[in-house]
Amino acid sequence: MRFVVFVPAGPESERGMLPDAKLIATMQKFNEELADAGVILAAEGLHPTSKGVRLKFDAPGKTTPIDGPFTESKELVAGFWMIQAASMEDAVRWMSKAPFGGGVKLEIRPVFEFAEFGTTLTPEVRKNEERLRAKMAANRK
Amino acid sequence: MRFMLLVHPAGYDTAKPDFHPPAELVEKMGKFNESLSKAGVLLSLDGLHPPSAGARVSFTGGKATVKDGPFTEAKEVLGGYWMIQVKSRAEAIEWAKRAPMPDGDVIEVRQVQDMADFPPELRKASGSVRLGKQ
Repeated sequence: MRFVVFVPAGPESERGMLPDAKLIATMQKFNEELADAGVILAAEGLHPTSKGVRLKFDAPGKTTPIDGPFTESKELVAGFWMIQAASMEDAVRWMSKAPFGGGVKLEIRPVFEFAEFGTTLTPEVRKNEERLRAKMAANRK
Repeated sequence: MRFMLLVHPAGYDTAKPDFHPPAELVEKMGKFNESLSKAGVLLSLDGLHPPSAGARVSFTGGKATVKDGPFTEAKEVLGGYWMIQVKSRAEAIEWAKRAPMPDGDVIEVRQVQDMADFPPELRKASGSVRLGKQ
């Protein structure tokens, strides 16, 4: 099973401060452990929401853009991991080792795997999805 | 430049753990995904099970505490994402506008940090664990 783990934004990440070298080194050590165990699939940090935009879909073909920062939101994302683990318990066990403190809350969410959709999708949609996944993998190389 | 398009589906905060998107929406998304792919901008995408199937781990004083979803205090929740590679923020927003989202959904467009955005000393401190394209 794959899981996305969201890292919440804080006042420092929202101000656009980069993590210091010490924190990067600690995080790297943790990521190395995840990598050696074959758990980590991806990990990325996001620029602060002041550089972002939100698009609200009001109706088909009609969108309203809202420039960041998104001060009305209590929960913003600063980064994420994509991991693979045997179960939610296993995912929680791995992420509990992450070098955080101070009340930081990581959110762990299982990813929809195409196989879960069962017979609701036509063979054509399935075939297209497989082709799409292969193309995405090629774009990442 | 890489951008993450984070999807906030309307009402997903109260979705049941066994929720699956309707086949019709999956098909429409498939077509949109195909257009991203044909343009060579698509790096990855995934949908997430509802928050009610998730967990939150909080870290205080070296101790991790686990709380199962749903997270009743959260109003805006994430339902999935696209990772795209484009030339500008404007291009990322243009792509997001074309997504076939149901009424009331919001897509948040956020630039991904690349190592090249960091000063040299930080680049040196990070390093070996890079997984995606830089």
